Amino acid sequence: MNTLRVVFVGGLTSYRALFNWINPWIFIPHTLGYPIFEILFFAYLGRFAGVESDRFFLIGNAFLAIAVTGMFGMGHATAGERRSQTLATLLASPANRFAVFLGRALPSIITGFFVATVSFAICAAILGVHVSLASLPGLALATVAAAFACTALGLCLGAVGLRGRNVSVFADVITACMLVVSGANVPLHLLPGWLQTIASGVPLTHGIQAARAIANGASIAASADLLAKEVAIGGIYLAVGLFMLRLFEFEGRRTGSLERF
Amino acid sequence: MKQASRNPFDLSGVIVWPILYASIAYYLLDAKHEPRLLLSASLGASVMLMWSLVVIASSGALEQQRWQGTLELVVAAPTPLTAVIGPICVAGALVGTYAIGATLAWGALLFDVPVKIERPVAFALAIPACALAVGMLGLIMASTFVLYRAAFHLGIAMQYPVWIVTGLLVPLSLLPSFVRPLSWLLAPTWGFRGLQEAALGGTPWPDMGMCLVLSAVYLVIGGSCLIAFEYVARARGSLRLT
Repeated sequence: MNTLRVVFVGGLTSYRALFNWINPWIFIPHTLGYPIFEILFFAYLGRFAGVESDRFFLIGNAFLAIAVTGMFGMGHATAGERRSQTLATLLASPANRFAVFLGRALPSIITGFFVATVSFAICAAILGVHVSLASLPGLALATVAAAFACTALGLCLGAVGLRGRNVSVFADVITACMLVVSGANVPLHLLPGWLQTIASGVPLTHGIQAARAIANGASIAASADLLAKEVAIGGIYLAVGLFMLRLFEFEGRRTGSLERF
Repeated sequence: MKQASRNPFDLSGVIVWPILYASIAYYLLDAKHEPRLLLSASLGASVMLMWSLVVIASSGALEQQRWQGTLELVVAAPTPLTAVIGPICVAGALVGTYAIGATLAWGALLFDVPVKIERPVAFALAIPACALAVGMLGLIMASTFVLYRAAFHLGIAMQYPVWIVTGLLVPLSLLPSFVRPLSWLLAPTWGFRGLQEAALGGTPWPDMGMCLVLSAVYLVIGGSCLIAFEYVARARGSLRLT
């Protein structure tokens, strides 16, 4: 019961604190405004370049919104604790670490899903992109898989936050790299071979590919291998993230660096 | 800016962003096989970073002051707040000038973008004119940062709308017609055009003139907003809220 309390109550409280308890009237436009304008920016750039369709950029950038919420949410979860000087207290508590960070991950996954869905719907209406109703369950599945994988990578960033002072900027750089590497804005075949190899090992790439295939009429079964790869990549990052959390917590305690800011 | 440059993590963002945006533009626009277009895209990506740095540096600096509990002292000091925040905004834009060199070098080395500046003197003058105007536009944004503790989030959210409306990578002719009058009011439009015209051999002087005129207008508006918002923030006692 206590573990569940840590996951849900602790997670919700941390989530509210993550955004400095800001008013929902500011939180919602901020969270949705960024991805909506990002989608429009790249869709118009694609139109200008004559490369790919609006649908290509709509799906790619809606999924990037997941990356932003997943990585920033998780990355900033520890950075925020450090800044408000509660990190040492949190780590000194006997609470199960997995429950603590799972509580922080769940709102990020839900937010990522919500932001991607709403910004997708709004921009599809603005850009005049039609997606059949039959493809929606598959798109939802791809969104959840990508949100899981991005949040798992975010957990790794959160772990880095136990050692680094400003992990938000690091998360910012990773998200920026995703703009290119994940194939969200640049077709993967245009990238150099070594970058394509990296792309196959990062979250989003397979989720975006699966979503584009499903939106173009493929069945969920036909995209199952891509979805499975996305979830597997997420699982690997989750395992690495949990290991890093344990390692950096130990290192932080040993070097007394948890309260440095 | 000195404070921000102490942290390699902070600097990594500045270094990577313009290169990535320029790369996306190169990959996509390369299909058109127009070298001048790629050079123009480099400059557009540079001005994009300039604007980002202005909103992020100014909102971030004020947020930092809030967290450190020094914002009240800064506001209470006899020095006008405009004189404190204005230089932060312009400094952010000046750091953004790094992006011009970085994107041009990146494009030349990796994407064979021909870097030939047709009017080097005008180009050298267009850079500070652009930085000043973009920095002064940031001053208007920064005035809201004094009032709202969530201003940092709003600052980040303001990046893409300005990038779109000012036609930095996407020509305004592709956007809905109501966007064009909006673009005339925003400094990045004229700053970018000044750089573009100077680099490609056009007439940059009217655009640079517009940068200077807009800088003066922004200074008046931003200064007035700061005075008004400072009064409201003092009345509400919200300067200390984090």
